[in-house]
Amino acid sequence: MAEVVRRELVYVLTAVVVIIMIVDYFFAVPAISAIAGELNTWATVISTMALTLGAVNIIRVHSRNVRKRTPGVWYHSAWLIFIFAFVLLLGLTNINNPSANPIYKWIFDYSYVSLGQTWYAITGFYIASAAYRAFRARNIDAALLLIAGILVMLKNAPIGEVIWAQLPVLGGWFNDIGQMPAMRTFLIVAAFGLLAFGFRTLLGRERGFYGEVGGG
Amino acid sequence: MIVAGRQTAFVFLIVTVALFYIFLEMARRGRRIPIRTFPAIAAIPEAIGRCAEMGKPLLYTSGYAMETLSNPDQGPQTLASISILSHVARLAVKAGVKLYYFTCIQDSLPLVEETLRTAYLEEGKPEEFDPLQIKYQAGQSPYLNAVLGFMQRERPAANILMGGFYYESVVMGEGGNTIGAMQIAGTANTHQMPFLIATCDYCLIAEELYAASANITQDPWVLGCLRGEDIMKIVILALLIVGFVISFTGTTFLIDVLKR
Repeated sequence: MAEVVRRELVYVLTAVVVIIMIVDYFFAVPAISAIAGELNTWATVISTMALTLGAVNIIRVHSRNVRKRTPGVWYHSAWLIFIFAFVLLLGLTNINNPSANPIYKWIFDYSYVSLGQTWYAITGFYIASAAYRAFRARNIDAALLLIAGILVMLKNAPIGEVIWAQLPVLGGWFNDIGQMPAMRTFLIVAAFGLLAFGFRTLLGRERGFYGEVGGG
Repeated sequence: MIVAGRQTAFVFLIVTVALFYIFLEMARRGRRIPIRTFPAIAAIPEAIGRCAEMGKPLLYTSGYAMETLSNPDQGPQTLASISILSHVARLAVKAGVKLYYFTCIQDSLPLVEETLRTAYLEEGKPEEFDPLQIKYQAGQSPYLNAVLGFMQRERPAANILMGGFYYESVVMGEGGNTIGAMQIAGTANTHQMPFLIATCDYCLIAEELYAASANITQDPWVLGCLRGEDIMKIVILALLIVGFVISFTGTTFLIDVLKR
């Protein structure tokens, strides 16, 4: 019984919040705008608080690896826990502005940021291997994709202009105009899908993410 | 009263919601609303069966999604993904397949835990649920690293990538291909659809991600919404054609109305 009441309460709260946000978007009612602003602040606070849950999850997962001496993994986990505690302590030494601590700033700027950028740069190789798989002319559709892909690549590669001065123009057409109607179509239909999803959530019929199965 | 520039949008919203309501009422009264089967959803039991046969785990992840449920574009994709997760989790529990969920979206953690816990409970195996099946990593690149590391170490037989993906989509898709995993994906992020289509065996694109629960449950309420969506798509298409034709006359009437 308590479980049913708890779930119904979640549906009602969701519906109330959705209605407030919609009214705030379309109507200039100062009182509603104030409530919507407050709700947005709450969302930010809840999201930030949820970081604690994330931290607990990380510590639990990796401390288990260390405890069980999971082969090939546990020493990475031990290092992660050490760095986690170290950076946390550094941040706490100047809680109002952790970046003022030069060691904290160095770790963030020269390891986290640069490693992240390295990963992003590596994406190019993954895209190349994915393109190799996608660009095989197995049928007429794939052949058309291959031709368009080659034209766009030649538009971006300096050699394209050397081969023929109009190649970048042709590739640019595919890049800027040819693909746009398809992408906008996806955007429009996705917006309607999102609207329907929101409507079902508002009515409490989209319950999968409440821990129930699928719709009502 | 209505904020300037949002009047037409408001009318569209009301008309769309009215259509949803009309069709869901019709569906509730027994009118049959046919819906095509999404190959990606139909392939989920096959993916889980593959994991069971090979004795390997199943990997499920919802993408970067700007690391929050609060983002208006990405949050709903994560929620839709968790809806699909509830279906996947039940099938996995039934088949005795261990499911691992990777995320970097901290505020989705309680929802995911509740979803997985309920799946185990409803399948009569609550004792088998381990909260550490859910693996959180803060930040996009660490999350991506964690997923790739898991793929290399545990060699899941199937990967399900559903949600708001960014650059990690192509890396995870290719990583999954390297280990020979069956891959099912879905996203409404137009900039990542090509990567998922190129790297995965099955893919839900755009609104299919949101409609997946209708495909799974065949709930008349959800099917009614889908029919309403289809009608609105036809209306938009008609507006596009009319706008295209009258643009040659130099008339700005339609643009003026839509801008209101």
